[in-house]
Amino acid sequence: MSRSEPAIDEIQDEPDEETFVGTGLNRVEDHRILTGDAEYIHDITPEACLSMGLLRTTHAHADIVDIDTSAAKEHPDCDLVLTGEDVAAEYNPMPCGLNSMSEWALARDTVRFVGEPVALVVATDRYVVEDLIDRIDVEYDTKDAITDPVTARQDETLVHEELGTNVPDSERLTFGEVDAAFEDADNVIESQYSWGRISGVPLETAGVVAEYDEETDSFDIDCNIQLHTLVDDTIYEPLGYDADDVRLSVPPDVGGSYGTKIAIHRYCTLAAMASQQLDGRPVKYVEDRIENLQGGDMHSSDREYMMRLAYDDDGIIRGLDVNFIDDFGAYPRYPVNQALKPLSVVTNAYNIEPVRYNYELVLTNKTAQTAYRGFGVDPHLYALESVVDDAAYDLGMDPYEFRQQNLIQPEQMPYKLPSKNIYDSGDFPEALARIRELVESEERAEGGLLEPDIVEKKRDEGKYRGVSYTVHIEPGVSGADWTDRQRSDRDELTDREMDDVDELPEHLRCELEADGTVRTYLATDSSGQGHQTLVKQLLADQLEILPSDIEVDYLDSVEAPTEYGSAASRMAVMLSGATEGLGETVVDNLEQLAARHWDVDQDLVTYRDGAVERDDKTERLSRIDLFEIDMEADGDRLTYAEYDYEHPVLDIEAFGEAFTQKYPVYPTAAFAANAPIVEVDIETGEIEVLKFYSLRDCGTQLNPTIVEGQAHGGLAQGIGAALLEEFSYDESGQPQAVTLFDYLLPSTKNIPEMHLEHSETPSPFTATGAKGTGEGGMIDGPASIATAINRALEPFDITADRIPVTPDRVRKKLREE
Amino acid sequence: MSMDDVSAAPDRPTQEISLTVNGEDVTAEIEPRVKLSDFLRNYVDLNGVRVGCEHGVCGACTVSFDGDLIKSCMMYAVQTDGGEIVTVEGLGEDGSLHPIQEAFHEEHALQCGFCTSGFVMSTKDLLEEDPDPSQEKMEAHLSSNICRCTGYQNIYDAVRTAATKMEEDD
Repeated sequence: MSRSEPAIDEIQDEPDEETFVGTGLNRVEDHRILTGDAEYIHDITPEACLSMGLLRTTHAHADIVDIDTSAAKEHPDCDLVLTGEDVAAEYNPMPCGLNSMSEWALARDTVRFVGEPVALVVATDRYVVEDLIDRIDVEYDTKDAITDPVTARQDETLVHEELGTNVPDSERLTFGEVDAAFEDADNVIESQYSWGRISGVPLETAGVVAEYDEETDSFDIDCNIQLHTLVDDTIYEPLGYDADDVRLSVPPDVGGSYGTKIAIHRYCTLAAMASQQLDGRPVKYVEDRIENLQGGDMHSSDREYMMRLAYDDDGIIRGLDVNFIDDFGAYPRYPVNQALKPLSVVTNAYNIEPVRYNYELVLTNKTAQTAYRGFGVDPHLYALESVVDDAAYDLGMDPYEFRQQNLIQPEQMPYKLPSKNIYDSGDFPEALARIRELVESEERAEGGLLEPDIVEKKRDEGKYRGVSYTVHIEPGVSGADWTDRQRSDRDELTDREMDDVDELPEHLRCELEADGTVRTYLATDSSGQGHQTLVKQLLADQLEILPSDIEVDYLDSVEAPTEYGSAASRMAVMLSGATEGLGETVVDNLEQLAARHWDVDQDLVTYRDGAVERDDKTERLSRIDLFEIDMEADGDRLTYAEYDYEHPVLDIEAFGEAFTQKYPVYPTAAFAANAPIVEVDIETGEIEVLKFYSLRDCGTQLNPTIVEGQAHGGLAQGIGAALLEEFSYDESGQPQAVTLFDYLLPSTKNIPEMHLEHSETPSPFTATGAKGTGEGGMIDGPASIATAINRALEPFDITADRIPVTPDRVRKKLREE
Repeated sequence: MSMDDVSAAPDRPTQEISLTVNGEDVTAEIEPRVKLSDFLRNYVDLNGVRVGCEHGVCGACTVSFDGDLIKSCMMYAVQTDGGEIVTVEGLGEDGSLHPIQEAFHEEHALQCGFCTSGFVMSTKDLLEEDPDPSQEKMEAHLSSNICRCTGYQNIYDAVRTAATKMEEDD
């Protein structure tokens, strides 16, 4: 078990407070980070540890004719060189997100994207490793690269010849009478939108330290993978071992992931293989930034949309038809279901009945996709809000009015979408009205950013300002069962019953220690979300003790049961549910222990303020006493407790259709009403977000400080996605963003003042009323900025039909006008 | 990684350097190609120097060299021979937090924390230069550091809080 550093300054415990939940308790993770003591994966270097590096191809598509490793092997400091053939001789390929495909950790025969690793080398330190990489000579026979997903669909050049197609997965789902709705409606609009290849780019790159133990024939792997109990098969399967023989531990501190690090298994696998080849010497690999950006398996959604909307002259939307292709790069990784998650919010906050959803997953010679905050919902909301804008303009209707009259009404809650997911609660019309009222009164007034005279004056200077009002749903919690829809026989889904549905509960355990500390163990990994703080806060209330009486550590993949993990805006709901259950179990256990000790009925004892007392007030056992009593007793330890919080809506019948048919189940609907104020410079094409207004609601706020922090960070990533970030490729398949000079992360210069307000509409479905909140700003930021740009550029009849909206694209559009 | 491993290789010449790191004298025999960031992390065990990009953009490896704020991935260690380096580990005294570190904690100005050392060092440099910086000045000064988690709002608050704390301490 990885033990976290004891937090030194702890938290400012405030025993006078009635509860810790709901307060902005300062984080316990901070002290070790601020002092430089935190141990991230880059900092873990066991004794005698060797360093690994990878030779990566510079070709987008080529056959490997020959690899000459002799010069590297001859170097006196070389410990190991392995090629794809060496790996294939002893190990297995890595699983993919589709059953029809698999992938070797080092390329064999053919390379399919720039940056794909073809050989690994191991030596004493990274500098020598780089020398050795230069000594490997690979002869290639280059082939045509396919980089345009629209062309790739025609299968003229194949990324995987044995597969016979570049479209290994697709589905066309129809909910309701779509064709009839489109025929009957007064108007139909059809528009195309592009979402560029954008991703999380955490500041900490991937890292792993692997050690093979010859005696036990097993592996210990420290790494910063995300979802270490869910995706561990991507590591133990290629190694050819059972799950119990491959122990994955994630450090308590991970330098950001945002979904991306769920796909770093290639590195974990290769370092483990290298350690095994070297008789158990520990082997460390740290990805460098250029590797991370070009071939680090961490790009995300890259979509071309064709949206159709049917609506009547009175502005009522009659039907929605969503069509898109998603460029998954060279291999379909586990997050193939990013293509499906938008079904959980398919109409966003709108009341639209018939819906069609049609996608194709396309392979090209690019880096594979991983998950990113929002998991495919961000492009969907962008495309949907864009076509809603286009329809409003087409009707000559104020987009605010058009949106407002199509929103789901509060009395429709809980609201079942055509795609079978259910929104739990929320008043969307009120939120939309409120954001408009706020911004109009603050910013249209004198001295405001949208004061008519100022707006006019700015236009004379070539600067066009705009604002739009939109409401967005952030689907939370997810479920595990639906996520393998693309690996299931879809024709057999209709026969499924609730008994066939297999969900993963949230596991939490704790034990009392000799000094009365309650040591708690999380089964999921964290990457900056403050889970240790959250559990301390929640459990302190449950056990009527101080957060400083509780320590929180992490379980490795062997100790922990399989969990869904920290993803899908899930942890607030699942961890709070699990903590509540764990607290009740602890109280019951300790009461049992005390009753047994006093030889009285359990009804005659009561747990209170961290101890157990007899109801006649004659005796009291502290946690220290209880620990001692338990140690002396035979049988199961009662100072140990565990709890599994079941998926919150597994027993709610209304979700049955979604569960059994493997449609995305996301039972909490956090929501936000946004109004970014943007300014477009029509000379330079530059776009500045002047101020970002957002009213956010994630149900009951467990820690408002953390909620606010997640919103800030999500919106910043949303701004980056909307305006700056993109992994583009040239026609030959060469990546154009391989440094942070090319992949532009938002700095202080790009992020405006944020005006956030929070309301709380508790979820009726979850234990604490909490809804998810981790992904919000990234989900709703780009869509709201794009629609604000549409307003700013209304005089030119230009819309933001491609994300990111970069200066060159804006200038090009203005030139074409 | 031990220095013996490196100095033993015949084709890898080394050079002796002596410098002060966080007030302590450090002497080492290293290859001229070793970056300052790697030297501080691997030879002086100062892991608070984070390496995020190794091409001078992200600012996670920011340290002070002879009083100037530098990105330690953009210098070789041998270039600092005879110099004075301060890292985030050198800020607090006797295990307590520096007012800037306290302010970052209080204002929730960190999430994953990987950029934090760099921001703390950059804030220190800013407040030494201007104890009461304007918003524009803060934005300009901190624009050489990237934070991917916080959206910067709470970092601004932390800088303001730190300024107040440091003014009170004076």
